[in-house]
Amino acid sequence: MQNRIVFSVIVYGLLIAGLASLRGEFIALTLPFLLHLLYGFAAMPEKLDLSVERSLSADRVMPGMDVVVTLKIHNNGAGLDELLVEDNLPGNLSIRLGSPRHLIRLPQNSSHTFTYTVSAPRGRYRFHEVSLQTFDPFNLLELTRRVNLPEHLFVFPDIRKLRNVVIRPRRTRVYAGAIPAHTGGQGIEFFGVHEYQPGDSPRSINWRASARNMDSLYSNEYRQERVADVGIVLDARMRSNMFRNGNSIFDYSVLAAGTLADTFISQGNRVGLLVYGNYLAWTYPAYGKMQRERIMHALASASVGSSAVFAGLEHLPARMFPPESQIVLVSPLIQDDMEVLVRLRARGYQVLVVTPDPVQFEKNLLPDAEEVETAARIVRMERELFIRRLQRAGVHVAAWNVSIPFEQALGPLLMRGPVMGRVL
Amino acid sequence: MTFIALVSSLVIGIASLAWGFFDEGWGGFARWVILLGVLWLVAVWQRWRWFPSLGLFFAVLAAGIGFWFEVNSYWMMAGAIFVLFAWDMTELHHKLRFMADDDDVRGIERRHIARVSLLSLAGIALTTIALVIQVRFTFEWGVLLVALALLGLAQLIGWFRRR
Repeated sequence: MQNRIVFSVIVYGLLIAGLASLRGEFIALTLPFLLHLLYGFAAMPEKLDLSVERSLSADRVMPGMDVVVTLKIHNNGAGLDELLVEDNLPGNLSIRLGSPRHLIRLPQNSSHTFTYTVSAPRGRYRFHEVSLQTFDPFNLLELTRRVNLPEHLFVFPDIRKLRNVVIRPRRTRVYAGAIPAHTGGQGIEFFGVHEYQPGDSPRSINWRASARNMDSLYSNEYRQERVADVGIVLDARMRSNMFRNGNSIFDYSVLAAGTLADTFISQGNRVGLLVYGNYLAWTYPAYGKMQRERIMHALASASVGSSAVFAGLEHLPARMFPPESQIVLVSPLIQDDMEVLVRLRARGYQVLVVTPDPVQFEKNLLPDAEEVETAARIVRMERELFIRRLQRAGVHVAAWNVSIPFEQALGPLLMRGPVMGRVL
Repeated sequence: MTFIALVSSLVIGIASLAWGFFDEGWGGFARWVILLGVLWLVAVWQRWRWFPSLGLFFAVLAAGIGFWFEVNSYWMMAGAIFVLFAWDMTELHHKLRFMADDDDVRGIERRHIARVSLLSLAGIALTTIALVIQVRFTFEWGVLLVALALLGLAQLIGWFRRR
């Protein structure tokens, strides 16, 4: 555009100067410029008749894994001497190899394929447009076309494997699972004894109890093992996750939520996920691999947000979780959350809080200094006091020092089960 | 290849203009023209994308001033055409930065330079013919010829676009 204006000014200026001075040199000097213009128009195609295909080597990957993007451009129209192809990358993707921008020559009915490799941190990435631009040889004219090729790349959180997580919700579902229910029947954990009924296995007869009472025989009863409803609440509030210089502890919370969801689903439970940030992103409870996939998609897309409505946890929609089920809150916790958690306990929910330690996280970002050490000690004491108050209210708290891997820091604790007073 | 073509055409163009002025005793003006050339080179080095078009404008303006004050037309004409070539090379040099390592840089360079060289040769030939065959005409004839040329050009461009 700028070049065209300069050329026009020069050509018209020379023509006017030639007329004003009646000197042929001015007119003669317009000839090379006019030649350029004419050749430019002649060489420029009428339209860009191109077909473009994009493919990704994988659309679901872990953070830092390489994804090869392949672009194939086919020219159905006139030959193009210079075609600039640019794949507009979504933000945060880093290019590992190759380039998403190429200047190529594309004769009629020919194709060109190029690849480049990207990697990315956790997130959901939308590929949109590929822009195609051709110029006349002198950059005076250009023809641009944008081809919309929507494609999604999910980078899932780097979840860890836990063998099991022990929870004790008051109410379980009817299907067999791994959680001891408050009902006698088949199982492993002792529940009580009842009078022998025809059909009871002779192996279940409690001979000691039967010997005390000679009138009848007694059989052992075990706790039935069932599946349960687990609602995972991921705290995505900006006020609890963001620290100085834009550092966020949120990715640790996502990792913890993903690991717990994966473990609960592997145990056969019905799991739902609520991301509590600038709005409520709810993945409805369900079982199985499909649900695991849904939760991973939700976690890949989760981001920190701020909202005046959801600044505190008081708008946590407890009615979305089945009564007396297990609620797992993954949050760095702030002082205001106390009341809501106690209220959930009062309504009969079993509440487990997995809390990435914000004190340690922020301390790691600060320089080593005596003042920092003192401040960290004071804040840590406040936090420990806060956690003890929660535990006294019946909320199980697992605090995670984020400088230790999740499975090492919390694995043994979560596999042993919720015992009051345990804080890591 | 592009960079060599750029620098050599710029040096020839600026030197032609400067020598034309210097030869007529316009030493001060010749120094300004040389300064323009130096600035152009700095612009290439510093990647000032806006400068080449401005440089081309000032170089043609200098040639126009030369024509007006009857400085040797051939030097002015050669200077303007080589500066036009240098402008095109600067644009190509910028465009080549878009290219990835595995693109056919050599091929694109070779074809582009060949095309522009042919066009510049044709431009030089046409302007030389126009300078040699000088016909005196009145202002009215001049206006008529320019109007006809513009009309023809517009028709030609329209035809190209429709095609």
